[in-house]
Amino acid sequence: MDWFKKKKRWDLETDVLALGTGAAGMTAALAAHGAGASVILLEKSRLVGGTTAVSGGVVWVPNNHHLAEVGVEDSRAEALAYVKRLTDGRTDDALVERFVDTAPAMVEWVEAETPLRFKALARYPDYHPEFPGGKAGGRSLDPGLFDANDLGPWKKSLRRSPVFGMTAMTVAEATDWGVFSKPLKLPFKLLGERYGKGLVCYGGALAGQLLKALLDRKIEPRLEHVARELVVEEGRVTGVRVEHQGQELFVRARRGVILASGGFEWNRALAAQFLGGVLTHPNSPPGNEGDGLKMAMAVGADLANMSEAWWCPSLVIPGEEYDGKQLHRGDFATRSLPHTIIVNRKGRRFVNEAQNYNDLMKAFFAFEPNAYERPNLPAWLIFDHAYLEKYALMTVMPGQPAPEWLTRADTLDELARIVGIDARGLGQTVDRFNGLAVEGVDPDFARGESLYDRFYGDPDHLPNANLGTLTKKPFYALEVHPGAIGTKGGARVNVDAQVLRVDGAPIPGLYAAGNVMAGVTGAGYPGAGSTIAAAMTFGYLAGRHAAATSGT
Amino acid sequence: MPEVEYTTRVARPREAVWEFVKDMNNWAPYLTGYQTHEVLSETDSIWTLKGDVGVLARIVKLKAHVTEWNGPERVSFTLTGMNEQVDGDGTLEMGATVEAPEGGSAPSTAPVVRRSFLGRILDAVFRFFFRRMHGPAPVRALPGGGGPSSQLRFRLRMDAGGPTGPLVNAMLAPALLPAAEDLANKIAAHLEGEKK
Repeated sequence: MDWFKKKKRWDLETDVLALGTGAAGMTAALAAHGAGASVILLEKSRLVGGTTAVSGGVVWVPNNHHLAEVGVEDSRAEALAYVKRLTDGRTDDALVERFVDTAPAMVEWVEAETPLRFKALARYPDYHPEFPGGKAGGRSLDPGLFDANDLGPWKKSLRRSPVFGMTAMTVAEATDWGVFSKPLKLPFKLLGERYGKGLVCYGGALAGQLLKALLDRKIEPRLEHVARELVVEEGRVTGVRVEHQGQELFVRARRGVILASGGFEWNRALAAQFLGGVLTHPNSPPGNEGDGLKMAMAVGADLANMSEAWWCPSLVIPGEEYDGKQLHRGDFATRSLPHTIIVNRKGRRFVNEAQNYNDLMKAFFAFEPNAYERPNLPAWLIFDHAYLEKYALMTVMPGQPAPEWLTRADTLDELARIVGIDARGLGQTVDRFNGLAVEGVDPDFARGESLYDRFYGDPDHLPNANLGTLTKKPFYALEVHPGAIGTKGGARVNVDAQVLRVDGAPIPGLYAAGNVMAGVTGAGYPGAGSTIAAAMTFGYLAGRHAAATSGT
Repeated sequence: MPEVEYTTRVARPREAVWEFVKDMNNWAPYLTGYQTHEVLSETDSIWTLKGDVGVLARIVKLKAHVTEWNGPERVSFTLTGMNEQVDGDGTLEMGATVEAPEGGSAPSTAPVVRRSFLGRILDAVFRFFFRRMHGPAPVRALPGGGGPSSQLRFRLRMDAGGPTGPLVNAMLAPALLPAAEDLANKIAAHLEGEKK
């Protein structure tokens, strides 16, 4: 810290300093301010919203106060049983209990303090709804639509999703309209009007309304402020060294610094070093490079859950860019709809393609010790022309010509040869799958058995919403890449979101929330919005706890 | 069906502007998001652009077909999307050479697209993002007194087809005017720089 001793002054001072403007950082800032603290909020990029803004914006909250509105009963015991099973032993029970107990109160507080008014999504199932404590709907909360014009001059600084940012529809509307299974029935004229008016949805609506609440409290995020190093004085974190437009700033935080700077999925070195899988195609904004994680490590933070991510299969349209990088589109439905399978280079299926995106990816990372290889990487989505006639493939609407970036052939043998898949294996796989699709059952991988699978399927496709034959030429292949909407390993925290040292003691003045924090759900993904619910809950806890400390 | 028109004044006579414009190779690189172009014949070419669609950038291939070479006054063309359901047309018009008025600096006509107050705000917001993605517009003072000058008018219409057309058109609309400004001003800046 020689540089700091020489400098001996702070450029900015506040009670609580939050780093990052995703749901974690903005909720933390609001909570700290609501508890009487002065707040500074820094953002690395030129846009507000972080990973939250490019997400579905849903918040997964068991026992939330909107459940009764959709006739769903829930209990603490059910929620704990469900989440603890999914953590796969990677999270302290106390932390899971804190999450389950606090998330409902957090949502009520957010609705009282911000413009957000959530609606429970009655038909959006948990990601393992048949597990004990799982629910068929109601725990995922929709932030609705938001008029970005309400942000005034900050409208231009709200991050937009490259996938959801142009189609302003609520999650409930998307479900009712059949966004996956009936894309041609979407009201594109209405969506065009909404776009023109400046309405945003999903993560943009959530981030926008949190930002609105901050602006209403006269808290303006400071953009393009890159936090580089924590300042530690006498064992306590007292501030941060920041880079802004080539200048170095020192920001003092009298009561606490809250790391909410996202995951490390865009940091190739950290991803290679820590993750249990091969992450090559992250779906989040490219600024998520593990800045907060590195700062926490530098002051002796304990780490946990480092081998986990919010995994998600990625598809690529060559040339599509977001924030100057090739866009990796998360695939949530293509693989769940009829007339598709995923195969490895032997031409074999290896997973229930309609499984939730987090758990699906783990099958891609399976390791075969004799050959010392991952047999399911690379893997390809294989489908026939019947799919393109009925369903959307990313930006390609049903009935449109197959795009030039899509590999195609009139026979499966030829397709296999072009892509580099064992043709005999692929032929056998498709023959068997076609028989199963006609029968409507998948004894091999149980595709279509879970309510979750069917949610992303075509309800009008019989006898199984997720199974359809691959018989209509041409046939197509598209590589499925390992992606993640964020990592979930990071600084280990206690029930107040205080970052812990290896010996279990809190590091005074340091908190973490969101994907920079060791994820409370461990290996699992309980339901849509689990990422954001955990981020907001621990942001809420961190903000309140930091505001309540005596500080320096 | 978004359509815009942008007019500026170039401190060069019409004939000089035409000499430049009549060869598409000269100005194709000034198209917003230009990647490559391939001349197929005197009237046909393929433009590959990195176009902004909402908040992301995509590669768009357009087949351009010149429908009118009417030098030194006008070139008209049609555009047909090769990898996207989009088509359109445009015109570059060179006005008669005149002596620029003393101290005159404003474009002789405003864009023909009439925008509401909200629309103008949206244009301003879009320009912010546009400049972030494509860099600053060329800095040039509009011709003042002395020397010949001529008017350069660029009209552009694009129309997305298919079921998503209404939505894509809503996204295209705010992008067109900055794109038209960009091309006209870059051509003008090139010619005025050449003069110096």
